[in-house]
Formats: sequence, structure tokens, C-alpha cells
Amino acid sequence: MPSTEKQMSTGNSNIQRLPIKLLVAATVAVFCAQAAYAVPSYSRQTGLPCASCHYAPPELNAFGRKFKLEGYTFTTKAEISDDKKDHNSALHLLEAFPLSVVFDTSFTSTKAPQPATQNGNFEFPQDVSLFLAGAWAEHVGSFVQVTYDAQADHFSWDNTDIRYANNKGRLFDKSLTYGVTLNNNPTVEDLWNSTPAWGFPFISSDVAPSPTAAAIVNGSLGQDVAGIGGYAMWNEHIYLAGTIYRSEHIGGSQPNPGTDFGFNVRGVAPYWRMAYQTSSGNNNLELGTYGMHMKSSPGAITGLEDSYTDWAADFQYDRTLPSLKNDVLSFRGTYIRENSSLIASFNQGAAGFVSHHLNTAQANVEYHFGTRVAATAGFFDVTGTADPVLFASAPVFGSANGSPQSNGYLLSLAWWPQQNVDLMFQYTGNLRFNGAATNYDAAGRNANGNNSVYLLARFVF
Amino acid sequence: MKRTSRTLLVILLGGAICPSWLLAQSDAAALFKSKCVLCHGEDGSGNTPSGKALKAKDLRSDETQKKSGPEITEVITKGRKTMPAFGQNLKPDQIQQLVAYIHHLGKK
Repeated sequence: MPSTEKQMSTGNSNIQRLPIKLLVAATVAVFCAQAAYAVPSYSRQTGLPCASCHYAPPELNAFGRKFKLEGYTFTTKAEISDDKKDHNSALHLLEAFPLSVVFDTSFTSTKAPQPATQNGNFEFPQDVSLFLAGAWAEHVGSFVQVTYDAQADHFSWDNTDIRYANNKGRLFDKSLTYGVTLNNNPTVEDLWNSTPAWGFPFISSDVAPSPTAAAIVNGSLGQDVAGIGGYAMWNEHIYLAGTIYRSEHIGGSQPNPGTDFGFNVRGVAPYWRMAYQTSSGNNNLELGTYGMHMKSSPGAITGLEDSYTDWAADFQYDRTLPSLKNDVLSFRGTYIRENSSLIASFNQGAAGFVSHHLNTAQANVEYHFGTRVAATAGFFDVTGTADPVLFASAPVFGSANGSPQSNGYLLSLAWWPQQNVDLMFQYTGNLRFNGAATNYDAAGRNANGNNSVYLLARFVF
Repeated sequence: MKRTSRTLLVILLGGAICPSWLLAQSDAAALFKSKCVLCHGEDGSGNTPSGKALKAKDLRSDETQKKSGPEITEVITKGRKTMPAFGQNLKPDQIQQLVAYIHHLGKK
């Protein structure tokens, strides 16, 4: 099964049974970053405005990273509390229920309409998310998201990170914060905006076509796995994390029969993360690496396996500019190399041969005019093994030459008239799409036909 | 008395008469760690990335150390500028522990 579409492959016989609408929706969703948010319940819990943790949501500044690291538990508000005494357990329960809502409405227009569809799409809403986000106990907190998607017309479980954290550790006489995370998306627990789950673009159109190929650690497994992991930050500099995942198909039956799902983890799929952060004056720098390994059977839980190994590097640099009223300039980037051995997919006729690789490079630069305006320019580049079976030809979403190569740029301008209201313009330019600049799908569609204008109004409360 | 027994006796007596302020200090340290370190750092300097992000005060500075107990109590209780109010979250005696701990930071 290709590490391309969430749960699906165009060549897999099992997938051909799936509704085409679901296939299209999944393809569109693949390369789009997870929609990411600021969460007002954290603000209510801490008594701090959004700008205390974010440059511009969802981007975390140093304080926001610390808040997340320490389990989303820092609070200044009233709790129902009881002390640990004798044989009795303690209680620290927020009086205010930690609930937040995000309402997104959007407009998308592509340069060329998709065949037999209307261009210029107004979504009202695009999606609505409910968040259960805040401290659950003294050392336990959460980021739990449930999203209503207007196209699917139902709520679905979204990004989830529930963690235990303790900041009282010491190691070699230096501070040690450590914790445990339960989550459903590799890199959702990460602290920086250079890794996939919280990287740029922070939200995208769910109407405009996006490139098909994506590495498993680059969003392909989001909300299709569940994992338990641990993490630690030593001396405020060195961050280590690791999570092991199993399949957890939202909407799928338990026990998992594996049918109708493109990825079924065999054994466990480990994710690892190491990062070094440092700050000096007005500079914050992070350099890191992360990766994941997975063995999976497409549409099955026994038999042959596909194997994927992702290795990645990332960086994030934030520079505060005191001479410009403390505006912030940010640079972020990541590179992912995926090697895969698609023995099972090849055996099913879903891949033309066994060995593949996929390279993904993404980088962006952003200027924050305080917390009021954020202007971002980013680029993406995907290259990899061409396989006409794996990346089959199909109108709009397929590849005429079997190549996953796609590259392009994004320009984004976000205005926050209030810290919880976002009005955004985003333009995506595709230079090459699913293997070619022109007639990439063998049906006459050019890469720039998928260029899109995306207007978003987001209300967070 | 054998040396071991004398040593043990000293330890036991020391524990029995351990000044209450020492115990309170450890409580205050734990409270400071859970409520204040996030912004002000372990040493109270505010010289951490998260502290600088919020422009947290250096609690060891003359500006802070010259404040009276009631003044610091008011800041903790009601908040000030970027510092949130802790009055709903901390009991009065906890706030007084923190005031004493903050003054103690200035003596280090």
C-alpha cells in the first residue's frame, strides 16, 4: 500500500470497493497540513491571552512550548482541590470545564475547475471543531479535538494528545521535565511548528486538489493509529520522545479485521524524536530529527507486509526584533526521506515493484507583525520513485507518468483583528503536480490548474 | 554510648526539633516550582526562553526585593501586566509562603 493516501491506494482491489467520494476526499486531504488551532480553554485556564503562548496560532513561542511540555496543566484559576493525605488521593479539578470551539468558513477557487464541478466553493462551515483541552488533574492534561466536516456531514475524532507530565525531575543536577503521551498522530505531541502535525500551512482548503504522495510520518497516519509514548526535556535544551503505534481505525470495528483500510500496523510502529533547542538574546533555535518505522498489510491483518522507514530532519528559528516593536521573524523547514518495501502491495497488484523511496522538503519563512498580522511564504517539493501502478493515471488526482513529483509554493496573509478571530488569504501555486507540469493526469489537466485562492474566516471561542 | 547509637540519637533529635520554617521552605519551593518556575525560572531570574517570551520579572532584582510583603501579595493575587492573577488558585497561606520564598531568593 503506498504511503500516499490516507488509508487508500488507487490500485488496491480492496480500495476499489470504497466509495469514490471517500477516495477523492482522502486524496485531497493527504498533502494538506492538519488544521491547527489556538485553544481558548487554555487561555481561560491560565488567565493569559492567546498571545502569551502563540506568535500567531497555532505557532507556539517558548512559553507555549513549555506549557505543552508540562502537560497543558498550568493554571491560575479556581480548582476543586483536596490534598493527598494518609491513604487518600489528591484532587485538582478545574472549576471551569475546558471546552473550546473553532468555527471555520471558507471560500476556494482553483485556476481550472475540476471536471463537471462548480468552481468557486463557499463552505459554511468548512468545519467546526470542539476541543476538550486543559488540565484534567494536577499532572494530566489534554488536547482532544472532535471535528465536524461539512463535506462528510459528520463529526469525527481528530487530533488527540493526552499527557502526564512532571517538571520536578533532576538529572545530573539539571532540570528534567518528563511525561507520557497518548496520541493518535505522529508528531502531534511535538513542540515545534517544523514537524508535520503542526507545520505550515496551518490550514488548507479541503476542496482544492493536493499532491497524492505523502510519507507515513507526514500526515498519512493521522487519526488512523493510536500510540503511547514518553518524552523528556533535559536542561531546557535536549528533547527526546518516542511513541509506539498500533492501528486504530476511526469508524472501524474492533477487533480490527483490517479490511477496507490501507494501513494495518503489524506489531507496533515506533516513532522517534530528538531535538536540541537553544536561545540567546532574541533568538530561539531548534534543530532536530525524527522518524518512524512501520510494517503494514493493506486491507489485511495477516500475510505479506509493506515496510516503511522515514528519516527526517527539521529546524525552526525565531528571531524577535526589538527595533520593530518586537515583531518576530520565523524560519522553519523539514526534510523527510522515506524508504519503502511494498511487498504486500506488489503482491496485490497495487505497486509495480517492491522498492520505493519518497523525498519531501518543506520550508517557510514568516513575518509576524505583532500578533495582528502574519505573512508567510513557503515551498514544498516531493520527489520519489516513479511507479505507474502505485501512482496510477486518473483524472485530476492521478499521474500520467506514475511519478509522485510535485512542487510549488504557498503565500499566506493572516489578519487577526482579535486574537481569536482570523481572516486569512492563502494562495497555492503548483509548478509540478503528480509528476508533470502539463497534462499530468493524461486527461489534459495542468499543474497550475490546481492553483488555488483560499479565503478563511476562523472564529475561536 | 556507642558511636552508632549517638549518631542515631542526634539524627532522631534533629528530626524531632527540625524547625518548622525548614519544612515550610520545602513546601514553598514545591509551590514555586509548580506555579512560578514556568515564567520566572528555577532561580527566579525570568531568564529563560519562556520567561523572556512573557517578559517575566527577575524576582531577585532590587525592584522586586524592595517590595513589601503586602505588595508582592497583591501582585500574586491580582496579577500585573502580563502576569495572571493567582488569587483564585492559591490559598492565602500559600501566597504567603511564596512571598517568603521570593524574599529568600534575594538573599541567595
